[in-house]
Amino acid sequence: MSDLEDDARVTNDLLDDEEEDFDEPPKKDKRRAYADEEEDEEDEDEDEEDDEEDEDAGAARGKKRPRRHKRPAVNRFLDVEAEVDEDEEEEEEDEEYGKDGFIAGAEGEEDDADVHRRAADHARLDRRREELNDQDLAQIAADVSERYRRTAVRYSGDMNEIPQRLLMPSVEDANLWQVRVKPGKERDLVFSLMRKSVDREFSNRPLNILSAFQRDSLPGMIYVEARSAKQVSDACAGLVGIYPSRGIILVPIEEMASLLQIKKQEITVTPGSWVRIKRPPRYQGDLAQVMDITENGEEVGLKFIPRIDLNPKDEATVDGKKRKKPAGQTSFSMRPPQRFFNYEEVVKVYGRKAVSKRNQVYVFQNDTYKDGFIEKDLRLTALQLENVNPTLDEITQFTRGQDGDGDVNVDLSIIAEASRKAAILVLQPGDHVEVFEGEQSGVHGSVHSIEQDIVTIQPVGVEFDGQRMQVPARSVRKRFKPGDHVKVMAGQNADETGLVVSVIDNVVTFLSDMSMQEVSVFSKDLREAAEVGTGTNTVGNFELHDLVQLDLQTVGVIFKTERDSFRVLDQNGQVRLVKPHQISMRRDSRRAIATDSDGHELRPGDNVKEIDGEGRKGRVLHTHQSFFAFLYNAESPENRGVFVTRARSLASQAPKGNLLNLGGTDLSKMNPLTAAPTGGMVGSAIGRGPRDRNIGETVCVVKGPQKGYVGIVKDTNGSLARVELLTGNKMISIDKSKIFRRLPTGDLEPLDTPRGGRGSFTRGGSGRGRGRGGQPFSSHGDMGPPPTAGFGGPPSRTPNPYNDGKTPGWTRTPNPYAGDGGKTPAAWSTAARTPNPYADGGKTPAWNTSSRTPNPYASGGGSTGGWGGATPGRPTSSWGGATPGRNNDSTWGSASRSWEGESSDNWDAAPTTAPTPAATSWSAPTPAAAAWSAPTPAAGVWSAPTPGVTGAWDARTPAFTPAGGFGAPTPAPNAAWGREGGFGQVEEEGPPEKWLLSRDLSDPKGIRVRIRSSSGSNWQHGNYDDQHGIILNVLNTFNESFDSTAQVKFLQPSDETTRESPSVPVQFLAPVEPDKVGEKVVIIHGNRSGQQGVVRDLEGDKVTISIDGTHVMDEIRRDFLAKIVPAED
Amino acid sequence: MSQPQASIPTQPRAKQLRACLLCSIVQTPADFRKHGCPNCEEIMQMKGYPDRISVCTTTYFEGMIAMIDPEHSWVARWQRTAKYVRGMYAVRVRGRVPDDVEAELESRGIKYRPRDQTDMD
Repeated sequence: MSDLEDDARVTNDLLDDEEEDFDEPPKKDKRRAYADEEEDEEDEDEDEEDDEEDEDAGAARGKKRPRRHKRPAVNRFLDVEAEVDEDEEEEEEDEEYGKDGFIAGAEGEEDDADVHRRAADHARLDRRREELNDQDLAQIAADVSERYRRTAVRYSGDMNEIPQRLLMPSVEDANLWQVRVKPGKERDLVFSLMRKSVDREFSNRPLNILSAFQRDSLPGMIYVEARSAKQVSDACAGLVGIYPSRGIILVPIEEMASLLQIKKQEITVTPGSWVRIKRPPRYQGDLAQVMDITENGEEVGLKFIPRIDLNPKDEATVDGKKRKKPAGQTSFSMRPPQRFFNYEEVVKVYGRKAVSKRNQVYVFQNDTYKDGFIEKDLRLTALQLENVNPTLDEITQFTRGQDGDGDVNVDLSIIAEASRKAAILVLQPGDHVEVFEGEQSGVHGSVHSIEQDIVTIQPVGVEFDGQRMQVPARSVRKRFKPGDHVKVMAGQNADETGLVVSVIDNVVTFLSDMSMQEVSVFSKDLREAAEVGTGTNTVGNFELHDLVQLDLQTVGVIFKTERDSFRVLDQNGQVRLVKPHQISMRRDSRRAIATDSDGHELRPGDNVKEIDGEGRKGRVLHTHQSFFAFLYNAESPENRGVFVTRARSLASQAPKGNLLNLGGTDLSKMNPLTAAPTGGMVGSAIGRGPRDRNIGETVCVVKGPQKGYVGIVKDTNGSLARVELLTGNKMISIDKSKIFRRLPTGDLEPLDTPRGGRGSFTRGGSGRGRGRGGQPFSSHGDMGPPPTAGFGGPPSRTPNPYNDGKTPGWTRTPNPYAGDGGKTPAAWSTAARTPNPYADGGKTPAWNTSSRTPNPYASGGGSTGGWGGATPGRPTSSWGGATPGRNNDSTWGSASRSWEGESSDNWDAAPTTAPTPAATSWSAPTPAAAAWSAPTPAAGVWSAPTPGVTGAWDARTPAFTPAGGFGAPTPAPNAAWGREGGFGQVEEEGPPEKWLLSRDLSDPKGIRVRIRSSSGSNWQHGNYDDQHGIILNVLNTFNESFDSTAQVKFLQPSDETTRESPSVPVQFLAPVEPDKVGEKVVIIHGNRSGQQGVVRDLEGDKVTISIDGTHVMDEIRRDFLAKIVPAED
Repeated sequence: MSQPQASIPTQPRAKQLRACLLCSIVQTPADFRKHGCPNCEEIMQMKGYPDRISVCTTTYFEGMIAMIDPEHSWVARWQRTAKYVRGMYAVRVRGRVPDDVEAELESRGIKYRPRDQTDMD
C-alpha cells in the first residue's frame, strides 16, 4: 500500500530535480520541505508546474482513499506483519493526511486497531494467531486471490515521463553477465531461471539474481543481472543447456543499455508492398500483395493467386465435410497450380453450392475471391517480408489478372515500387541517374555522393552550372539510353552484357552480346560496362557444351551456364535447369562411335546436316549411345544453338577422306560381328570411362616398403594404382611405376609393356605378328575358358594370318588347331610343312573315343557341325564376315569341300600313324592338361624348343591350355617351331594340300606335278587327273576366297586345255615323287623344306638326298619330295 | 521480499504467449482472461474479455525478461517495469494500445510510451 504513494513520489521527485538520486525515495515530510525550498529558488513557471503536479498527486490520492478503505481486512492479516515499524510511520502520515482534511475520517475501525496494537503488541499477535487458526485455508486462498486479483492498483504510467537516457545504468546498479547457452534454448532458460527463483525464494539458498533476459537477435546467449558472477553461476547451476564453463562474461556498463535496445531491422509492411507466403504450405513461396494491415499489426490482408484443386479426390466432392481432409493432404504432396479463380470451373468441380457470391466477391471454402485473386488474412509470422524479390514474371502475372485477360501491359509503377527499395542500395558515386519523381523530376546527372537516403547529384544541363542537388535516393533511378553498353550485375541474367535498345521507365531492354536476344531487366541491376561479357562458361568443373550425365538414363549437353546452374538439353530434347551437384559426371564422347545416314562415322566437330525433318545444320558436339547426336549451330535461336537429333538422320556436309577407303582396313568396322564388340567396348568406355587395362592384373611391388608383395590391381587413377595385396587382405595405393606385372610364370614385366597374353585386342596395330597372336585370344576371352571355346578359338584366328600371309612366324604356329583351321585351301601348303603332332594326335581314335568334350575335333570328325561350334570364336575379319552358317554350308566353296575330304583322309590315316608318343599321350584319358604336360617324349620335344612357350604351357589351366598355350608364343618361338623341326622329326603328316604355296619354295618353277583330286573335288571334272606337268609359276592370292593357282605346262598335252599351260588351283597339284637315283628334287615339307638336292638312294619310304650347296646327306620321306626339272626352256 | 507476482507461463515455447501492449508483461491468453494484466488491468480491463485481450495484447513481441527483483533491477528500470509485479516481460512489443486506452492515458496526463522502442529519448 505504501507502494502507491512511493510511486507518485518518485515520479514527482524526479521531475522536480533530475539530479536527485531516485534510488532513495525521500520521506514524505522531507520531500515537502525540499520542495518548499525549491519553490523559493525556482522561478514562477516551475512553481506553477509543481503546483499542478502536486494537485495531480493530491487528486490521485484523493481518489485512492476510498479504495484503501476496503482493504483493512486483508491488510491486517497479510500485508502488515513485516512492516510494523514502517506501518507506524505510515499511520502517522495517514494521520497527517487526515489532518489535512483529504480524508473524511472514515477510519475509525482502523484507528481502534491502532490503539489496540500500540497498547499491547503481544496481545495483538496472539489474536492474529488465533484468527489465522480460525480461518480455514480456503478463506486464505480466497484472500490471496482477492489480493492478487485486485484492480485497485491504479495505472500511473510510472516512470514514463523520465527520458530514457536518464535510465542509463550507473555503477551502483547490478551488472549484466553474459552466459553462453545452447542455441534455441535461450527462452526456455530464461523461463527456467524465473521459475527457479520463485521456487527457491523462501529456501535457504535463494537465487540472488535480479533478472535474466534473452534477445532473439543474440542466439546462444542469455544475460543475467546480478551483483557478482558467483551469483550467476549459482543460479545457472543445474540447468540443462547452460554452459557456465564457457565463461560468465561481464557486460561493460556502457553496453548494457544497447543490449536491450537492439532492434531488428524493422520491416514495415505497407499496403501495396510485396511479401512471400510461408504458411500455409499450399501457398508457400507464392508472391502476395499486401492490401491492409490489422490494427495490432499481427495480421495482414493479402491478395494473391489462388491454388484451387480442380481435381479433388472423388470423395471430396461428395459432401463439404469430407472435403477438408484430402485438401489438406494434397497440399503437402502435390499442390495445384496457380490459377485465377474462375467461377465456372470451380462450380463444375465442386458444385454450385460450394461457391456463394456476395456483391462482387465469391466465397468458396471460407475464402473470399475477388477478381480472380484470393483475399486472405494471414499472420505476419507466416509471411516472408525480406528478400521478396518479385520477378518480372510474377508481377506480370499479377497485373494480367487485374487487367482481366492477357494484356501484357506491365504496370510499371508496381514493379518500380517493388524494386525501389533495393535501388537505393545499388547506387554508386558516378552512376548516371535521373530523378523521376518530385520537383526535380526529369533532371539527370551523375551521383556525386550518397549519404543514407540522400543522394547528391551533379546535374547535367546548362541551367545547373556547377550546382549540386540533393534528392531522396528513392526518387532517382539509374539512367540508360539506347546505345549504352551495359552489364547485368544481379539476377538471373547476371553477367550478361549488351547494347541497350530501349528504356521504358526503369525497365531496360538490351540486346545480349551472347545470345543476341533481347533481355529486359530493371535498371537497378544494370551498370554501364565496356567489356563484352561472355558470361562465365564454366561453373564448377563443367563447361558450356559439355556432355553430362544427369541420371542413369539421361545425358544432356550444357547449352547455357548461369550464375550457379546450367541449362541442359537432354537427349530427349527437354531443357532442364540443373545445379552442378545434380550432374553425376561429365562424359567423354570423343571415342563414342556413331554413324550417320551413309554409314560414315560421326565425330565431334563434324559439320552435318539433317536429311529429314527440318534439315538443320550444325556441328557435332557429342554423340550418345550411337543414336543421339548433339549438334550446335550458332545461328539457331533455340537453346542457344544446341539441339539433339538422331545420328542416323544426319549426313556429312563435307566428304571425309579417311573414310572413303571402304575397301581398306576399315572393313572390320563395317562388319556387324566386329562392330558389336567394338561398340560394346566403346559403350562401356562412355559409361565408366576408359577402363584401365591393368585393372585385374596380378602385380608385384618392386619398390618401397611393400616390395615383394603380390597383389591385384583393383583400380587405377592417374599414376596411382590401388592394389589389393594377397597378403593381409590390404588395399594400398601405390605408384604404378613401383609395380610390375607378374606373369603366371612368376616373371615380372613393367606394366606399360603390352601384355603377351589375353585380352590385348586393343593393341592390334602395334605389330603384325603380335597383333595376330593376340587376336585369337581376344576371342578366347569372349568365349570363356572352357575347352570347347579353346578349341573353337584357334581356327578362328587362322584366317587372318593366312589372309595376308605376311607372318611367317604365325603360319608356322605349332598349333594343332591352327593346323586344322589351316586346312583351308590357301593355308594348306604351308601348314603341310609344319608337321603337327597335335593335328595328328588330335585325330587319333583315342581322342575321339574319349570324346570328353563337345569339342570341334570330335564333332569335326563326323560332321561339319564342329565347325559351327567353333565359329563364335571367329570374329576376325579375314573370314570375310563369315557367318556361322556360312562356315557350314558349301558356299565356303572349295575350302569346305577340301576340308571334308582331307579330314576324312586324315582320320583314316591317323590310326596308322597314331602309335607315336604324342598320340599316346593324347589318348590318355586324363584331363587334357595332364596329357599335355605329361613327360612323354612328345611333350618333351614340345617344351624343348623355346622356354617361353614352355612357361606358358605349364601355367595354363586345363581349360585354357590349348588357347593360352599357343597364344603366348611370340613370333620368335613360332619361328623356332618351324626351324627347329622338332616336330618335323616326329611328324608323320604328309605335306599339306597347298604345299605349293609354301613360303620356302622360293622358286617353284620346274617342279613336276600331277593333277589329282583334292578334298573330294576334281579339277576339270577329273578329266586330267594324273596327268603330269611342270610348274611354270605360282600365283598366290593369299586369300581363301580366291584360289591360288599355278600355271602348269603339261608334259603330254591331250587337248586344248592342257596345251595352253592352264592355271590349275594349287590344291589339285600333287608333287611327283622321285623314283630314280640321280634325279633332282626339291624338299617341299619338313624342316629342310625348300632345299633342293639330288637323290642318292631310294629305300622304301625314305630317300637319301644330298642337299645342294652343302655336303649334307639327309634321309627324307619320299612324299616330302618333288621332282624338279632343271631350268630349261 | 514477497512481492506481487504474475503467473508464469508454463510453456515458454507456446505460440500463444501474449504480451501486454502497455506494460509488456507476457502471459498466456488464459491468464489474461482469468486475472487480466497484473499491472495495468485498471486501465486495460481485459479480465474476462477475450476481445479486449486480443487488442490490448499481442504475440508480436521479442526478447524475454525474467524479472525476478524488479525493485532493484536496472533492467526493470530501463524497461520501466520497476514498479510492476514480478514475472516475464517482453523486451520489445510491437503495436500500440487501443485508441481508448491512449485517450484515457492522455486524460490522466500519463505519457504513453509504446513498447516498440521507437522513441528512445
